[in-house]
Amino acid sequence: MLRRLLVIVVFLAGCRPSGRPAVGPSQRIVSLLPSFTEILFAIGAGDRVVGRTQWCDYPPAALAVPSVGEGLPPNIEAVAARHPDLVVLYNAGANVVAAQQLERIGIRTVLLDLNRLEDLGPATRTLGRLTGLEQRAESVALAMDSLLLHQPPPTSTTLAFVVWDNPPIIIGHGSYLDQLASSAGARNVFSDVAAPSAQVSLETIVARDPQWIAVLSDSGTAPAFAKRREWRAVRAVREGHFLLLPGSLFGRPGPRSAEAIRELRERLGL
Amino acid sequence: MKWSVLVALAMLALITSVVLGPAAVPLAELLHSDIVWNLRVPRALLAFLVGGSLGVAGASLQALVRNPLADPFLLGLSGGAGLGAVLAIALHLPGPWALPIAAFVGALAALGLVYRLGLIGGAALDPRILLLGGVAIGAFAAAITTAIVSLADAAELRNAFLWLWGGLSGASWDSVLLVLLYIPIPLAVLLAASRPLDLLALGEESAGYLGADVETVKRRVYLAASLLTAAAVAVSGVIGFVGLVVPHLARLTWGHRHRALLPAAFLGGGALLAFADTLARTAVAPRELPVGVVTALIGVPVFAFLLRRWTIA
Repeated sequence: MLRRLLVIVVFLAGCRPSGRPAVGPSQRIVSLLPSFTEILFAIGAGDRVVGRTQWCDYPPAALAVPSVGEGLPPNIEAVAARHPDLVVLYNAGANVVAAQQLERIGIRTVLLDLNRLEDLGPATRTLGRLTGLEQRAESVALAMDSLLLHQPPPTSTTLAFVVWDNPPIIIGHGSYLDQLASSAGARNVFSDVAAPSAQVSLETIVARDPQWIAVLSDSGTAPAFAKRREWRAVRAVREGHFLLLPGSLFGRPGPRSAEAIRELRERLGL
Repeated sequence: MKWSVLVALAMLALITSVVLGPAAVPLAELLHSDIVWNLRVPRALLAFLVGGSLGVAGASLQALVRNPLADPFLLGLSGGAGLGAVLAIALHLPGPWALPIAAFVGALAALGLVYRLGLIGGAALDPRILLLGGVAIGAFAAAITTAIVSLADAAELRNAFLWLWGGLSGASWDSVLLVLLYIPIPLAVLLAASRPLDLLALGEESAGYLGADVETVKRRVYLAASLLTAAAVAVSGVIGFVGLVVPHLARLTWGHRHRALLPAAFLGGGALLAFADTLARTAVAPRELPVGVVTALIGVPVFAFLLRRWTIA
């Protein structure tokens, strides 16, 4: 126990020089990203989650936790009203200020990166340390790390992720979805675009001719743009080769990334 | 001479936007390429028609409200269109045309409200109230839009702003045909009002003495220019600076006679937008720039230059 405490003290001192002395493992946690909520439940800290965002829909038990709203940026008062001793935030612009405000009213916060598969292991280990559940966290993290180590050989299957149709926004190399595709053995035709997402011309999509158009969709029906004349210039659209991926499973890196990769492989017939 | 230069520029803008693009299409295959026929040609034509419409709408509105800063979107139309588009997404309206139709309806609603406000002092349409009413209605619509975006659950709502910022990605033969059927009427109404618009520059009273039916002209011009802008926003979002800068550029060369100014603004606006869109598609290929960024990057320096000339002169 003492050692565990020491680890937390050292960790917190390391990431926040001005921080207060740390207390024991967190007992009341507000999670401000669906991925963090999933990780907390996966490492056995689910019963300590006292607040979540409106988007946190997995595992089903998470839905019983009170929502504090959108999460990005967080509603500080709604978060504070849950009386948390730890708030887990996604490391991005508006959240940095929010974390400072929470710290000022005496609530411990941690800002974590979670953009790609390689962020999963470190985020899970950090949450393990903060909750005193290092062992469970380590085994979950090891499974996550192995996703990167065991990449299948690339096949000739190609796809493009289209996140918006007008203007067409696609997913580029710097993103989690691009990693999902390559982990499933498929090639994202826009993996040469360095940014996580980018606006492209429709004719670029036509010229790169992906076999599949992947869209995040919870409805399971082909997107409305499938019927637009200009989109029918894309072969995959004409042939109805859509991959309709539910956002809850495919739209976020988390403990279910392995499941997402498996299902993507299956849907692609690989 | 100046007409031939302008027509040549317009042709050049159209040809470059068909020949150049992010996908490599060899010149020899240009006429048989699916990409060229189904994507580039309609997009070039739509850019030209929208740019031209914005140029004419801008020129007429500047004359109507006698304010050089008037822009087709100043009179609340962009706010109304944005509200319509966001509502279409938040309410999950189905169909491939839901968004443009909702934006068009939103723009028409804003147009109606501003028009009604303009008549608030009685039967005469007051240009000053049109301006103030337009800004107020636009701000009000923008506030409701932001409220919906921050309260609604649809994750794709943020993308509505991408659409609203303007772009010609939605171009197809369908949209070109729609625009081709729609714009001749408001364009003809504005062109027919050329002479009274010239007189209006002298002031409403003087225009009346010189035989212009001032009230009818003002209403016709306001409605026609706004209907033109509403169509443009429905097919391509809010594309800034074309409707502001092009009329001023045209005035520098063609003077203040609207019979020449309006056609020049049409050709000039069309050429500018077709050219800007070609740049947007090719400058950072395979990525694409929002076309509004390009029109502003070209338009603002030109505008600054003009302002300087005016203040010196």
